[in-house]
Amino acid sequence: MNYLLSLNKKFILFFSIIFISIIIIFLFLNTFYSNTKEKKIINLQNLDADITKPKFTINSKKQNISVTANKGNFITENEILLNENVVFQSEKFKIISDSVVFDKVKHNAYSSIKSKFTSENTSIVSNGFNITDKGNKINFKGKTILIIK
Amino acid sequence: MIKNLLLFICIFLFSNSLYARKVGETEILTDEGIEVYQEEKYYILKKNVIITSDDFILLGDFVKVDFEKDLYDVTNIFSEGNSSLKSEVNNIKATGPNINIIVKNEQIEVIGKKSEFKLGEIFMKSNGKIMVNNLTGKFSIIGENSNMITESIYIEGQKIDGFFSTNSEEKEIIKLNVYDDNISFVQNEDTDMYAKKIIYDKKTSIIEMFDDVKVVRGKEIVTGDYGTLDTSDNSYKVKSNNTKKVKVIISNENE
Repeated sequence: MNYLLSLNKKFILFFSIIFISIIIIFLFLNTFYSNTKEKKIINLQNLDADITKPKFTINSKKQNISVTANKGNFITENEILLNENVVFQSEKFKIISDSVVFDKVKHNAYSSIKSKFTSENTSIVSNGFNITDKGNKINFKGKTILIIK
Repeated sequence: MIKNLLLFICIFLFSNSLYARKVGETEILTDEGIEVYQEEKYYILKKNVIITSDDFILLGDFVKVDFEKDLYDVTNIFSEGNSSLKSEVNNIKATGPNINIIVKNEQIEVIGKKSEFKLGEIFMKSNGKIMVNNLTGKFSIIGENSNMITESIYIEGQKIDGFFSTNSEEKEIIKLNVYDDNISFVQNEDTDMYAKKIIYDKKTSIIEMFDDVKVVRGKEIVTGDYGTLDTSDNSYKVKSNNTKKVKVIISNENE
């Protein structure tokens, strides 16, 4: 007789349900904790804007980067969530995103959503970015495509 | 159900075509992003990097790219970890831990253990560094287990350098220097040549051997301090600083 046929079906069903439940709980918790920060940003996006058409400038020795957006909401005293058509533009490059957190004191910025960078003969599409060191260092995050013409 | 499946396939194909590389463009894909340092003029491509251009495909774990004016104006590409380079245009295949490409000089370096470089029908291997300059034809192989194989010759030594022809599609060695503190080795169709230093010049067709020379051809073994082999007629001579010291051993199969 086939060994599989001799197994108790209820027993198999019981353990299958437990096994699947464990996997579902694990995936749920994993997704929940990894997206906490993004959820915070998404929730804030639904609020009315604290600032309309906010505009800032990052000044460094070699370049000035203008920062513009349609809406801005204060997250902390120094951090502002910029929403809708957020643009970082200098003489050399332009970064467009729809949601960026900008620190108006440290002049740092970060985004966790799709962003597009363009400069002379170059374009970069990434899943977010960080700007630090007054715009000198730009870190494009996640799977990234760079095209050089 | 089938309609949805077809729609999904269409969207998938269309979204892929949006990012397809056009002729003349260089496409760079990374799994963990790009760090751009504008003042220092370089960027780092992180994890599972694939660089595809009209001329070559470069793969590596991490890649540092130096630029001059802006990101597009690349001067140097250094790939670190599981690197491989393939260029059908230049008939090149290279693999090794690290690959360095000096773009403007058209110089390629493969660095580290089990480095390999294939240029047309010429194979180079080393545990140190292999360098080939596409513009000048200069090449060098330095380090342990360095060797080079062409259609007609096998070369082994700690340091192998010289020049390839640059004016023909099929690369051939026009100058060769082989050094080894212990012993260098060059083998052509029927002759094994051992010496501390072996040089070859295509203009003269002469292979010269210096110090601890040993030439083996069939059952014939000749040793001395200096030797030459004329590749045009395959004849050779061995001399010694002390004229009495040249030694010839001819073994007889019937003995």
